[in-house]
Amino acid sequence: MTYRYLFPAVLLPLFLTGCAALHRDQVQFDHLSDCPKQSESNLASRQNELGPLSDTQTLACAVDFLRNNKGTSLLSNALGSRLCLNLAERETDQDKREKLAGEGVAFAEMALSKGGGDDGAVHYYLAANLGLAVREHLTLAMDNLSRLEGEMKKALAKSPKIDDGGPMRLLGTLYIKAPAWPNGIGDRDKGLDLLEQAVKEFPGHPLNHLFYAQAILAVDDGDARAVAKSEFMLGEKLLLGGNWGYSRPSWQKEFDDFRDDIADASGAPTQPLAMQTRR
Amino acid sequence: MKTPQFIFLASLLASITCIAASDSPPIVVCYPGGPVNADDANAAMGSMLRVVERVGHWQAGSLDSLFTAKADECRKLMDEKNPKFAITSLGVFLEQQERHHLVPVVQPKIKGQTFERYRVIVQKGKYMSLEELKGKTLGGTVLEEPAFIGKIVFAGKYDPASFFQLKSSNLAIRALRSLDKGEMDAVILNEQQFNGLASLNLNNPVEVIFTSEEIPLMGMVADSLNSTADERTRLGNALAGMCSDSEGKKLCQLFGVDSFAIVDSAQFEPMTKLWKEGK
Repeated sequence: MTYRYLFPAVLLPLFLTGCAALHRDQVQFDHLSDCPKQSESNLASRQNELGPLSDTQTLACAVDFLRNNKGTSLLSNALGSRLCLNLAERETDQDKREKLAGEGVAFAEMALSKGGGDDGAVHYYLAANLGLAVREHLTLAMDNLSRLEGEMKKALAKSPKIDDGGPMRLLGTLYIKAPAWPNGIGDRDKGLDLLEQAVKEFPGHPLNHLFYAQAILAVDDGDARAVAKSEFMLGEKLLLGGNWGYSRPSWQKEFDDFRDDIADASGAPTQPLAMQTRR
Repeated sequence: MKTPQFIFLASLLASITCIAASDSPPIVVCYPGGPVNADDANAAMGSMLRVVERVGHWQAGSLDSLFTAKADECRKLMDEKNPKFAITSLGVFLEQQERHHLVPVVQPKIKGQTFERYRVIVQKGKYMSLEELKGKTLGGTVLEEPAFIGKIVFAGKYDPASFFQLKSSNLAIRALRSLDKGEMDAVILNEQQFNGLASLNLNNPVEVIFTSEEIPLMGMVADSLNSTADERTRLGNALAGMCSDSEGKKLCQLFGVDSFAIVDSAQFEPMTKLWKEGK
């Protein structure tokens, strides 16, 4: 199962606005009356099917069930947090996105309180949601850097393979983007190592290649820039060739946002692959 | 002040400066050798400008700045934009002082000090003095400005380019790891980097074989012909109160800046003298 990790592209940069606290209020879903009747066993049996390929209404119905069934054993695993992340990633309204991510954090916290701490997925989705929730808020992001690192490390230790190397992708990017030594936990060498490892061990995930390319360019090693461009193009090829469901538009945007940077670095424009293939 | 603090200051100062003269050319922000992507920095400063606009009750979107991490581009921007105000390293200030009639306006205060010292460190016991490092490798982020290191930090006694084998890097931590592995003979650190050494857990102990005299921290400078005394005073006063503001205070804390101090120009006169006398 793969889906997007939307950790802040500019978490580091640190000068983003706001002192808001993490959202704890919920997004009100529309058309819940259209949801099919659900039960714990029914949802449990198909929980692994719910993801980027699921339509938004299906995910919303599942989240609504979890909201209204506090006694369900499903709250002790990563399901609620994962569903919220899936919804948040496809949400274009920032306020709603942050509310969904905040709820994803809350679901993960609940899972931890119910004994789910040995499940790396719980830590992974907690970190992914938390990153998404704070990405636009400087002080909130800074306040949560240590927690983010801790959760990502736990996810990496317990479930390194989840989401095609998601914990490596998250932690690697955190180290690239966070304030560097001596001011913060940022460590570009560590970040590069993790992202390179993610690419080698999970070469099929587009974001592994994109984030590695971004890291190479951030570190700016000169000779490695050609590698960055190559990784970027490989990642985009994977994106266009795979079925990434509702994740694809937002991932494509990430690729598009980075296209100018990679073009500047190589001195030549990098044409969108989709445009090339249309010719 | 080649650290994230510099960027923070840059953001802060850039904002304030523009406020004073919204129809003025943008603030030029030069950060030679800094480990910050220009796009990230520009985006970050843009975000910071918005904060300052709100805090200071100035019109939203009225502030602007231009950032570069390249020394050549900095010189070009200074010539092209002829800015009233700029955020520079001390090296850039000294180099451009006469050409652009620069005067220091505000400097940061860190841990109660408005100055810092540079230090050269080696693996303990390997070398006892700078003289023993002749022809040896010297690394560090501050080497992006070799003239500054030679004329100011070494007070004209050593020309870094001819005395050492320079290994400039935009990653201080990487240089220190090379030192730790024995791949580098020595590393030159600014105050903040030196103070962070303990957190690195290097395998081999290091020691200081050179400590510079006190060198003032640089912040915002003004073109004394382009700007008025009133403008400089207004900006200075605004910045002096910045870290007392509730949100500004948190930002100041995040980056380790106690406050901003009105510059005593006399503090910089020895630096100017050294620069002019330097070989």
